[in-house]
Amino acid sequence: MFLAIKEILHNKTRYFLVVFTVFLISYMVFFLTSLAVGLARGNRTAVDQWNAESVVVSSYSNKSLTVSNIPESSYKDYESKDVVPVGQMTVVTKLKGSDKKINTNIFGVNWNSFISPKLTAGRMPKNGKEVIADSKLGNDNIKLNSEIKINGSKDLYKVVGLTEDNSFFTVPIIFTNMNTFRTLKYGSDQAKNISALVIRDKTKIKKSGLSQITIPDLINHIPGYTAQIMVFAFMIGAMIVITFLIIGVFMYIITIQKISLYGVMRAQGIRTARIVAALFYQIMILTALGAGLALVAIAATQLGLPKTVPFYSNWPAYGLLTLAIMVMALLGGTLSMRKVLKIDPLSAIEGG
Amino acid sequence: MHLIEVKDVVKQYGSGRTLVEALHKTNFTLDKGEFNAIIGPSGSGKTTLLTILGLLQTPSSGEIYVGGKDVTKLSAKKKTDLRFNKFGFILQASNLIPFLTVKEQFKLVDKFTPSHRETMNQADLLKMLDLTDVATNYPSNLSGGERQRAAIARALYNNPDVILADEPTASLDSERANQVVSLLAKIAHEYHRGVIMITHDTRLLTLTDRVFVMRDGTLTEQKEE
Repeated sequence: MFLAIKEILHNKTRYFLVVFTVFLISYMVFFLTSLAVGLARGNRTAVDQWNAESVVVSSYSNKSLTVSNIPESSYKDYESKDVVPVGQMTVVTKLKGSDKKINTNIFGVNWNSFISPKLTAGRMPKNGKEVIADSKLGNDNIKLNSEIKINGSKDLYKVVGLTEDNSFFTVPIIFTNMNTFRTLKYGSDQAKNISALVIRDKTKIKKSGLSQITIPDLINHIPGYTAQIMVFAFMIGAMIVITFLIIGVFMYIITIQKISLYGVMRAQGIRTARIVAALFYQIMILTALGAGLALVAIAATQLGLPKTVPFYSNWPAYGLLTLAIMVMALLGGTLSMRKVLKIDPLSAIEGG
Repeated sequence: MHLIEVKDVVKQYGSGRTLVEALHKTNFTLDKGEFNAIIGPSGSGKTTLLTILGLLQTPSSGEIYVGGKDVTKLSAKKKTDLRFNKFGFILQASNLIPFLTVKEQFKLVDKFTPSHRETMNQADLLKMLDLTDVATNYPSNLSGGERQRAAIARALYNNPDVILADEPTASLDSERANQVVSLLAKIAHEYHRGVIMITHDTRLLTLTDRVFVMRDGTLTEQKEE
């Protein structure tokens, strides 16, 4: 540790470059992770809020909530406190007096069911013309008491309550009652169809035309979800592998420059193990500094970023990634270790 | 019992038709309180002998005894420890670590020394070598003479029994060179250590006890006439 720290302090510029490179890589890893987590959450936060076990969708829907449609005859026998209907519909919303079209989801729910949204402001709706909106719609000026048009409807709907972290398919949700949902989707509240049944206990439902799937299964079948996650996972993975190469190459070059010095140390009777230990201490110190600075920078980024960016800080994930980066960096050190192990103390004398 | 005894040591490089014998059968001893010099032209095998004496390489045949113990067959690790504990190297190229100040060079030795071993008093050592004022300088901020004296200080610090000096005066003017040599003599005679100095400068031999001449791989003692 003594050797490691003294050397870093004496060659500040050189080691600053290493720290800076680690910082840049870590920052990019954290940033990509935040975007990946943010995007993934945007796809699923509404589903996560259900805290449910499984859902029942129509068999032909290929496990996609957006496609599923279940007629009354198929589901009416199953409804209970723990098995509740949900209606989903993708719509375009306009604020009264504005021409801006805003992509939103409608979730039709029974207000007294367990998937009813949690209010952060306002009150529960009292009639079919009152709705609850996700707070993210505030970015488009849809706030408490705003009046909105849905899919070009003549009627105006009034936002009487706000909820948060309720989006599906990266699009924020407006909650309506079941009848309003049916009117919007099927043109009449006499069509008693629903999109799916949400189940929070162990109830098993078997009926032809219906299929029961777990919540993770539902989420993975959100169109594009798996592809997005894979893209990010591979990018993050590649960055971490690059850490290995960069640290490996940097430390290798620095080590080669010090071979004659190591020869002298070996001649003086300093064990190779000590020299190797100093090398790995250095890598640990440098990567910890770089990753630490990146964590500070990511915290600052979060404060400065516009709300529309799907950025979500996941500190446990950062911790794991920091660990992965450090492990990779230490592995990079093994490239140089081979060189150090082969140092011949003779070189100290013959090289002189 | 000799401090160091070299018995019938031969060093060969290569094999078959490319075989070169760098060191013919050599015998050599060093006792406590003795200051011996090895002189000879470059390429004569002086450095080969020094590296064998310093346990940096193994002879092709023959034995080396340190304090009466045969160390020829010791493992590399044991030899490393022996070098750290018993030998002090003063090398032609500086043996100082560039990113440590003079004081920190000692501190490094402290870190790696078992606690029961005594090191020399730092202040005394710095005073003896006239380094007190530059103790917190890095090697790059020392003059050539100061650097050589610091290297000697570093070699002496862990109380070695044997000091091996390879051309310790190479980069010094004759006044500084004389100072360094008289210092080595003082270490041998007053502190009762064994000192071996390799040099090609015959003017520096007035203070030595015994002088050996190396010529074409053969070592002979120069007897005073």
